[in-house]
Amino acid sequence: MPIVKKAPAASRDQDERELQRDCASLVLQLADGDPTTRRWAAKDLVGCPDVSAALIGRLRQERDPSVREIILTALTQRADAQAVAALVECLRSEDVSLRNEAIEAMKTLPDEVAPIMGGLLGDADPDVRIFAVNVLESLRHELVEQWLKEVIERDPHVNVCATAVDLLGEVGTSYSREALEKLKERFPDEPYIRFAADIALKRICSN
Amino acid sequence: MKRVLIVDDAATVRMYYRLILEEAGYLVVEAVNGVEAMEKSLRESFDLYIVDINMPKQDGYGFLRELRGRDELRQAPALMVSTEAADHDRKRAYAAGANLYLVKPVKPQELLVNCRLLLGEVRP
Repeated sequence: MPIVKKAPAASRDQDERELQRDCASLVLQLADGDPTTRRWAAKDLVGCPDVSAALIGRLRQERDPSVREIILTALTQRADAQAVAALVECLRSEDVSLRNEAIEAMKTLPDEVAPIMGGLLGDADPDVRIFAVNVLESLRHELVEQWLKEVIERDPHVNVCATAVDLLGEVGTSYSREALEKLKERFPDEPYIRFAADIALKRICSN
Repeated sequence: MKRVLIVDDAATVRMYYRLILEEAGYLVVEAVNGVEAMEKSLRESFDLYIVDINMPKQDGYGFLRELRGRDELRQAPALMVSTEAADHDRKRAYAAGANLYLVKPVKPQELLVNCRLLLGEVRP
């Protein structure tokens, strides 16, 4: 009797697609117990219509960092209103890693984030306003300095202003000089604000 | 000379702490996130860590948990400094391994007193 050698089954570790790839199946696979399956599903769902809600739903409960990363990448690639809203929602999360990942993702979406930046910088929660300023850190948008200047002119929270002034130290120009001087007057008892504003002013003067 | 590692992604914050600590006679080393801080901690020893929470790559909680998970580093005192002022943030910081928690912005004297406290240079 001939010995029939069975071909070895593909290892799950090899991260290969093994399942159905139609959109409906992929949405179901987002809830699979195997992170490899969830990862592939999130990757492949980028091309499917109307799946931002499914990706967001998974993101809220996903604990595996590698799957989360893929979902965030998928949302960034989709960049529709629902995806951007989901990233904003992550800024309110108590999960620091998720929050930071969302900030990094939002930095790559200047055109999509710009229309909502005013709202984020005016959010009732100062932590969200701080995270919005963090998004501005490497957002390639012409209004970045104007947004930062408005923050240091108007925001009542010292740490929101401190975060903005840190960034103005890197991107600020003479346009922000007067606002930086006034900021020191707004927070006369905060040595850090004075220090950071002086650093920013020094850099602006030397440029 | 006591060695302090400042872990914060904001360059201006690191400069501010450095100025205060160097004037007080400490040797200061900087890291921009938890990953860099751990790399430096494995290469050289520090008497005190000053750690921010919100940082890219690895946040302050993650760094402290990793620090406390290593036999050779678990005893080093850590001062966590963050913009987040809620009670639950403080609790999470202590649960991750912080010895003290301060809310930004920190005044020079406040920073120094707490550093000296953790270094055993003054009594509580």
